[in-house]
Amino acid sequence: MSYFGLDRIFKLMKTIKDYGGLRASLYKLYRIDNLRPGRLVATDKFGNKYYENNAYFYGRNRWVEYAPKYGLDYDASQVPAEWYGWLHYKTDYLPSEDPGRPKYKWMAEYTENLTGTKLQYMPYTTTNPKIQAWVPPSKK
Amino acid sequence: MLRTALGKALKGAQLSPKHARVMSQQPKKPEQIEVFIDDIPVKVDPGTTVLQAAAMVGVEIPRFCYHERLAVAGNCRMCLVEVEKSPKPVAACAMPVMKGWRVKTDSEMTKKAREGIMEFLLINHPLDCPICDQGGECDLQDQSMAFGSDKSRFTDIEHSGKRAVEDKDIGPLIKTIMTRCIHCTRCIRFASEVAGVDDLGTTGRGNDMQVGTYVEKMFLSEMSGNIIDLCPVGALTSKPYSFTARPWEIRKIDSIDVLDAVGSNIVVSSRTGEVMRIMPRVNEEINEEWIADKSRFSYDGLKRQRLVTPMLRDNTGELRPVDWEAALLTVAKQIKNAGANVGAIAGGLADAEVLVAVKDLLNRLGSEALCTEHTFPMDGSGTDLRSSYLLNNGIAHAEEADFVLLVGTNPRFEAPLLNSRLRKGYVHNELEVALIGPKVDLRYQYKHLGDGTDVLQQLIGGGHEVSKKLKSAKKPLIIVGSEVLERPDGAAILAVIQKLSASTKAQEGWKVLNVLHKVASQVAALDIGYNPGVDKIRENNPKVLLLLGADEGAIEKADLCDNTFVVYLGHHGDHGATIADAILPGAAYTEKQATYVNTEGRAQQTLVAVTPPGRAREDWKVIRALSEIVGAKLPYDNLNEIRDRLDEVAPHLTKYGEAENANFFKQAQDLAKNVKTQLDCTPLDVKLKDLSDYFMTDSISRASPTMAKCVQAVLKQKQSKF
Repeated sequence: MSYFGLDRIFKLMKTIKDYGGLRASLYKLYRIDNLRPGRLVATDKFGNKYYENNAYFYGRNRWVEYAPKYGLDYDASQVPAEWYGWLHYKTDYLPSEDPGRPKYKWMAEYTENLTGTKLQYMPYTTTNPKIQAWVPPSKK
Repeated sequence: MLRTALGKALKGAQLSPKHARVMSQQPKKPEQIEVFIDDIPVKVDPGTTVLQAAAMVGVEIPRFCYHERLAVAGNCRMCLVEVEKSPKPVAACAMPVMKGWRVKTDSEMTKKAREGIMEFLLINHPLDCPICDQGGECDLQDQSMAFGSDKSRFTDIEHSGKRAVEDKDIGPLIKTIMTRCIHCTRCIRFASEVAGVDDLGTTGRGNDMQVGTYVEKMFLSEMSGNIIDLCPVGALTSKPYSFTARPWEIRKIDSIDVLDAVGSNIVVSSRTGEVMRIMPRVNEEINEEWIADKSRFSYDGLKRQRLVTPMLRDNTGELRPVDWEAALLTVAKQIKNAGANVGAIAGGLADAEVLVAVKDLLNRLGSEALCTEHTFPMDGSGTDLRSSYLLNNGIAHAEEADFVLLVGTNPRFEAPLLNSRLRKGYVHNELEVALIGPKVDLRYQYKHLGDGTDVLQQLIGGGHEVSKKLKSAKKPLIIVGSEVLERPDGAAILAVIQKLSASTKAQEGWKVLNVLHKVASQVAALDIGYNPGVDKIRENNPKVLLLLGADEGAIEKADLCDNTFVVYLGHHGDHGATIADAILPGAAYTEKQATYVNTEGRAQQTLVAVTPPGRAREDWKVIRALSEIVGAKLPYDNLNEIRDRLDEVAPHLTKYGEAENANFFKQAQDLAKNVKTQLDCTPLDVKLKDLSDYFMTDSISRASPTMAKCVQAVLKQKQSKF
């Protein structure tokens, strides 16, 4: 079987099946340019899915598939801080298993980079305007 | 200084002895003498100083105290030069040249003298150039670089510190840092000779010498700002400008002042799109190198109370900001509904371009109701002959006059630079001045003939005491203020003055009749063909009234119908904007390239120093855009095309820098015989009597906090016992 390379076709078909059919697989291909079989490790609270497949070589064996709500507007800042370490091989612990990870009530909720959105940080001017406009006297 | 003042006091403040000698009329020109400056031969008149002779061959001698327009003081010693066969170096500014002198301005002795003087000056001068406002345009900095020694022997071993002098409070305009003073006494000489306010002087001598006002007093004059330019160091700097900009980061644009009718030449300095300061530019025909304080310091009014966006009055009666499209469409709709029933009033700051654009637009709509805010008698020749409404003899020639009759004017505040010319004539040329009108302080002596119109009658009759002087004078001037011509009997006053002018025996080419206007736009408006006065608007009651920066309250809301739609085109929110139903923001004089004609009929143009703020646009462009929507498109799209149109209307409007002569005095006088109006017996009056009246006279200066401070300072000074 492997001599004719048919196993790859079976593998592809299995992957397509795992992804939920031809239509879902094509959408995935359109969205992330890649079809990779892998083990779903976990899903974070934003809906991002983390995969691992050790058949790929080190450095390519862990990846994230961004939550469907992001559509095509996904970027690396949508990975929350606690998943950064696992994704970048700083640690092999998953965030839920990591004994050294601090968890306090006061820790702020993770936010993605908001630059370019309505919620972005905008500094305001602290200097006086150069021209003071006339304000018409109101009719009492 | 004391000697001059004393001499003046003894002679009844007639003349300083120094000037009498210089200005005495020489019957024939004496022979020229030859001297050698650095071996370059030059022929000069006797009495020429070494410094002037050197300037003729292009050799500049360093100086601090010497100034071309002030008396020679000779106390800074910076101009020391070697003269061959003279054992000591001589002060070039004070020493008249002798025949055959060989002056060496580059010799070892001269260099040594300069280095020595510079070393002495720097010993007593603080090293605060980095925080000094004069830094970068300081004569002491420049000359110590060019002529000073490369080292100093000044070492403050005892740590006793340098000489320090207490700062003086001389008003809201001039900041004093008296430690920096090098005692050139230019400010003192300016105050006593040009401004005529003998408040400044020196006390003490040697190292303890101080320049000040003797008693705690503010130096308040309408010309006070000029001592900032005169000061060669940073001892006198501008208070509003202090610590705001450096000379090398500033953009300088040559422009024209429009806050009075003189049209002084100015340089507008701007940085980061803001006017930082205004300084004078030399124009011998108009302002020499001085400007009045209102022109110099009211620029902060350009940043306040500005109209930055078009506005429309909504149904609740409030003015609301709108965009240009909505404003222009609304105004155009109103104009279309009004048909030919449209009027316009031009205020004092309107430029010739917008005046001609508005006239063309209204004429196309079939209306002739174009008025100026300031009126002028229309009986007799009216405004048809230019000679009736110009300062015909010119500003510069005023100093040559030998007799001046001022009628209903206070030139000191209406045209400070004309007054400085008259004062110059008074000091140097034995000019006699008589005045009919309220008794005001002109800073020189004059004969007050009373304020009644009967004096004019007596002068015509020849029975008055000054009649003889007026008749016998070779260069008499009669300067009549435009304000008294606004009276109901203005035509009669003008007719009397025309008759009086014709009765003098002035020499050929000398024009006796002079009208002094108060606002910059008036002459251009009359040249273009506006009707002086707003009577026409009152009679016609137009449906749409266009105010071109008319802020003096010549017309009130009560004078108009309830349904009159008032459009205000201008740059400041003042009287006109408050009564307007639509506001179209225009550009101020520093923000547009525009033509103004001064009171002597000289067309000059302002240049763009900064861009108009917000959505404001150049005035004539607004009118051009409006005309297209109204459906009477004006045929000019750019500045050159509208200037061609100006040229068509009146060619002198685009001959920049030239004063166009007007010569129809006789015809005007013949026409004046038809004047039916009789002289009123109400006394002649002027609005600007006191220095506190001078500072705030138009929408720009009224918005200026500096000008408000000046008024406060004058009022405070009045409380003082000095």
